[in-house]
Amino acid sequence: MSEQPLHLRSFPKAILHIDGDAFFASCEQARNPKLKGRPVITGKERGIVASMSYEAKALGITRAMRLRDAQALCPALVVLPSDYETYSILSKRMFNIVRRYTPDVEEYSIDECFADITGLQRPLHMPYEDIAEKIKHELDIELGFTFSIGLAPSKVLAKLGSKWKKPSGLTSIPGRHIHHYLKEFSVEKVWGIGAQTTAYLNKHGIKTALEYAQKKEEWIREYLTKPHIEIWQELNGYSVIPLDTAVKTSYQSIQKIKTFSPASNNKSFVFAQLSKNIENACMKARRYKLGAEGAIVFLRTQEFKDRGVEIKFSRQTNFSHDIIGLTKSAFEDIFNPNILYRSTGVVLFKLKEIDDSQMDLFGEAIRAERMTKVYESIDAIRDKYGKHTLFLGSSFAANKFAQHLGERGDLPERRGFLLKGETTRKRLGIPVFLGQIS
Amino acid sequence: MGKTYFDKIRDFYNKRRRMPSYSEIMMLVGFKSKNAVYRLVEKLVSEGLVSKDRQGRLIPSKRFGEIPMIGEIEAGWPSPAEEELLDTMTLDEFLIQNKEATYMITVKGDSMKDAGILPNDIVLVERKNEAKDGEIVIAEVDGNWTMKYFRKRGKEIYLEAANSKFKKIFPKEDLKIAAVVKAVIRKYS
Repeated sequence: MSEQPLHLRSFPKAILHIDGDAFFASCEQARNPKLKGRPVITGKERGIVASMSYEAKALGITRAMRLRDAQALCPALVVLPSDYETYSILSKRMFNIVRRYTPDVEEYSIDECFADITGLQRPLHMPYEDIAEKIKHELDIELGFTFSIGLAPSKVLAKLGSKWKKPSGLTSIPGRHIHHYLKEFSVEKVWGIGAQTTAYLNKHGIKTALEYAQKKEEWIREYLTKPHIEIWQELNGYSVIPLDTAVKTSYQSIQKIKTFSPASNNKSFVFAQLSKNIENACMKARRYKLGAEGAIVFLRTQEFKDRGVEIKFSRQTNFSHDIIGLTKSAFEDIFNPNILYRSTGVVLFKLKEIDDSQMDLFGEAIRAERMTKVYESIDAIRDKYGKHTLFLGSSFAANKFAQHLGERGDLPERRGFLLKGETTRKRLGIPVFLGQIS
Repeated sequence: MGKTYFDKIRDFYNKRRRMPSYSEIMMLVGFKSKNAVYRLVEKLVSEGLVSKDRQGRLIPSKRFGEIPMIGEIEAGWPSPAEEELLDTMTLDEFLIQNKEATYMITVKGDSMKDAGILPNDIVLVERKNEAKDGEIVIAEVDGNWTMKYFRKRGKEIYLEAANSKFKKIFPKEDLKIAAVVKAVIRKYS
């Protein structure tokens, strides 16, 4: 039975999943030849591994590992602070290169995207595999590091394809050959299938992706819910999950989490860190004209344990001082002076477009209008002169010093120098080659 | 009428490389009062031809220098229509061909000085792994970047500096070209 094709047509749809190999670490290696062939990780400022080069991976270093554990595994490890500015520029470049071929690109995350190239063989005079190959070639050359691509009739299959051979793989899964690939993947490797569903499927004797795909439709509909029915269809070569090609203009939630070092049990300092995060989250909410109806604030201990509280607001808001005021007592509840904390965070949720039209009895609307003007000015000043020029008193202790004292406070190399005409606020949006130049 | 006023201001600017003061404009255009100059300036500002700094002194706006491209203006002032700017390019477009493949390097050392590339210049480079004879390339040599002329004589490939003090570099294995130099930027202030 397992030799029977699941789908008879090769590419009723042609979907690509494109994945940057060890993206952040590769961005670093590509701009500095000294780092090539060496174990490199990023995430110095967070104290944990954010991304590791294949050389580091080979030594057993994994994502989210603590720095000192990683360094114990490999004393020669190159540990770099994250340079999100450069990574973001290269991420946008990646999407733009793919858009040379098709406008249907879904920016799935900073280092991954989906692209729909259905129907392009004729205008481009080449089969889908060659189009994928060409895109890969341009990405590899122009960004200076490698990408892995999966080509398949659906998103779920394309995502498996890009995992098949990594790094620098190009895997084409035409409908007729889906079953050859699925039998090699355990079901939990399938995009969208979590630990719960895996355990449930295992109970029914489903271990591989192929066993899942071969289940009868009646069984799937009887025992599973919509998202998993869609995954089943996609595994069978039917594209049912559309690409989300809209550029993000809104958010359902906004989160700001910042680690600081050394860890602290100073109550006013830790609260200032939280306050700073709330201010930054609110600023982002105001930029997108969104207001939150609630927030979760949390503290993370040095032992990586989180404690958080959810707060509901009586009315939608994006005013920092409102939210900070409401958080105060929640903070008192979760803060324990006998514990050292390493980071604080806030998630604003139930974000909706700010609606000014609501009338009320107690003059709230008038107050809100006034405050909106105040915050418009605050945001304009912060935009022009930097986020750290104007902040609430409650954030003072967090703005007084750099986020990290000691070597974790090291800035990315690109932040360490200014080209003539650049300011600490604004740099040229073009990545710079680093290292020795002769 | 208006055309001549503006021309006079522009001629002044072209000759002295600065904008005239109000009293100089008064002399230039033959007005009798600064109030008249003030009204002229307000008009130029509203046309987008000049703007004012914080002290109220004139500064040329973006359109100030581009006006000659429009040619003869028959009647009155041209309105600052977007179409007039369609055929201009930004400095970005002028310097950068393939945006996604463009990177910068700050020059160290004087090995390319005879090519007019000096220490602390910024070069704009385009990532490529092949080059044509005579192009200036960024290559990877012993874990460092090096910027040199790329030379190809038949099957022989080597790198050459633009400075007689440096020897030619003949790669032992295959030469790893990372990028080709497209432009040099030198900022003075």
